[in-house]
Amino acid sequence: MINAYILISIRPGKSDNIIRNMRKIENIEKISVVAGDYDVVVRVQVKTLEKLLKVTDKLQLIDGVKKTITQVIEKEIAL
Amino acid sequence: MRIRKKYLFYALAFTSAIVAAGVSAIDSTISNLYIPNAWAFGFSCFLVGTFISLLIVIIFSIPVNNKESLGTKIIDPSFKRIRLVRKEEIKFHMIAGLGNAVLTLGYLSLLSILGDPSTVLPFSQIVILYLIIIESITEKNMPTLSEIQSSIIVTFGAILVSISLTGSISLEAFAIVFLVVNPAWVVFSIYQRKLKLLKIDNRPNDSLNIRLWNVIFACIITTILIVIYDMFMGTGYLIEGISASIEHFNWVALTMGVTFFSYVFYIRALGIGKASVTQAVRASAVLFAIPFALIVSYYNVIPPFSTDPVMILIKIIGTILVILGIISFALAMTKAYVFITVNPGYPIDETMNKLWNIRGVTRVTATAGKFDFIIKIRIRTLVKGYEKIIRKLEEIEAINKFKWESVLKEWEDI
Repeated sequence: MINAYILISIRPGKSDNIIRNMRKIENIEKISVVAGDYDVVVRVQVKTLEKLLKVTDKLQLIDGVKKTITQVIEKEIAL
Repeated sequence: MRIRKKYLFYALAFTSAIVAAGVSAIDSTISNLYIPNAWAFGFSCFLVGTFISLLIVIIFSIPVNNKESLGTKIIDPSFKRIRLVRKEEIKFHMIAGLGNAVLTLGYLSLLSILGDPSTVLPFSQIVILYLIIIESITEKNMPTLSEIQSSIIVTFGAILVSISLTGSISLEAFAIVFLVVNPAWVVFSIYQRKLKLLKIDNRPNDSLNIRLWNVIFACIITTILIVIYDMFMGTGYLIEGISASIEHFNWVALTMGVTFFSYVFYIRALGIGKASVTQAVRASAVLFAIPFALIVSYYNVIPPFSTDPVMILIKIIGTILVILGIISFALAMTKAYVFITVNPGYPIDETMNKLWNIRGVTRVTATAGKFDFIIKIRIRTLVKGYEKIIRKLEEIEAINKFKWESVLKEWEDI
């Protein structure tokens, strides 16, 4: 399994619509609206890198998404 | 049958709460009808519990395919098979076992005094009051207003529930609640958590072996406590406990078996959903204890409930206060992501462990991309985020820069 965080910057005024569309995308585990340099942090779990590309592609096609940064998880410690 | 993860989570968390309430009714029945002595009952619980837990863990160790066992598949993905206790676990197991032994003896004494399980159960929720006090002392942090508010609501709620059955307050019961049960519960939960965070053979420690070894250690410690008590007081509780274990094996095995599954459902729910929501849902055990108390009262195991409307109202208000207090405490958490870039020349594993050791950090991920690490944080207030997290991050030499991103809202596919 490949896990990744996708950090998203969005255009102002479109957040509701963007979140609604993001929630429809498969393989997205968690959507966090954040305050800071980015606007939304998405956690993705996919089987292959190709599927990760598909998720990123779908995110970028949502109207209002300005920029995405993908951070692939190499190692993890969690509760 | 396929079930949505979200429904599975709620099903597990509520089942755990209902089972916990049911256990208190079984305990009440055993305490009132068969083993009235709390020492003998406590010893019997751990003696029979060791046998039952061992049996359950052996069953869950049955391999279902090359790599997985029954327990891996349906209970805990970290579980492989039954194993011996590891050297690094012994210290934690001894302290957690002591906590569990004292907690159980205190809880059973409380049950023999109060009788009504719906009165005893809310007292366990007062533990948050102690956690806040400990945090304030050890970390020199003033508790926040919402923390004080929630803990006071829960404490007074539990006190109200305890008044309702007979209309009087038992000072002995209060002393046991505040001086024995809850301090022991704090020790038990802190060290149980420490055990869960240990890594065994590069895998997270599994809940089944933790539970099994906790019961074994608690059994050893209870035996030592009872032997000392018998020697000084001239009582024969050890013998009484052994004969009660044989005589009422079925009842004690039932309560310990059901307790095991309540614990397992709880851990499983924790693995699927958020800890705060699981804790909040589990607080509903206080509510579920009422119908169980009515059943045991119907069969004359405990004295009948007061029919005085004022007493009934007090019980309802007390129950609502306990649940509300726990829910507001559990759900009022601040979450954040911290994106970190590090300087070259520092080993990744070392930095990862340093980040993981910061209290409030729930997830550390080493990532490829613009940032080297992304950590997830869960704290009660933003002020504590500064005191607990930022200061500690600044102490880590390897860190070059970090960005704090507070989570405003979150959706999770559970």
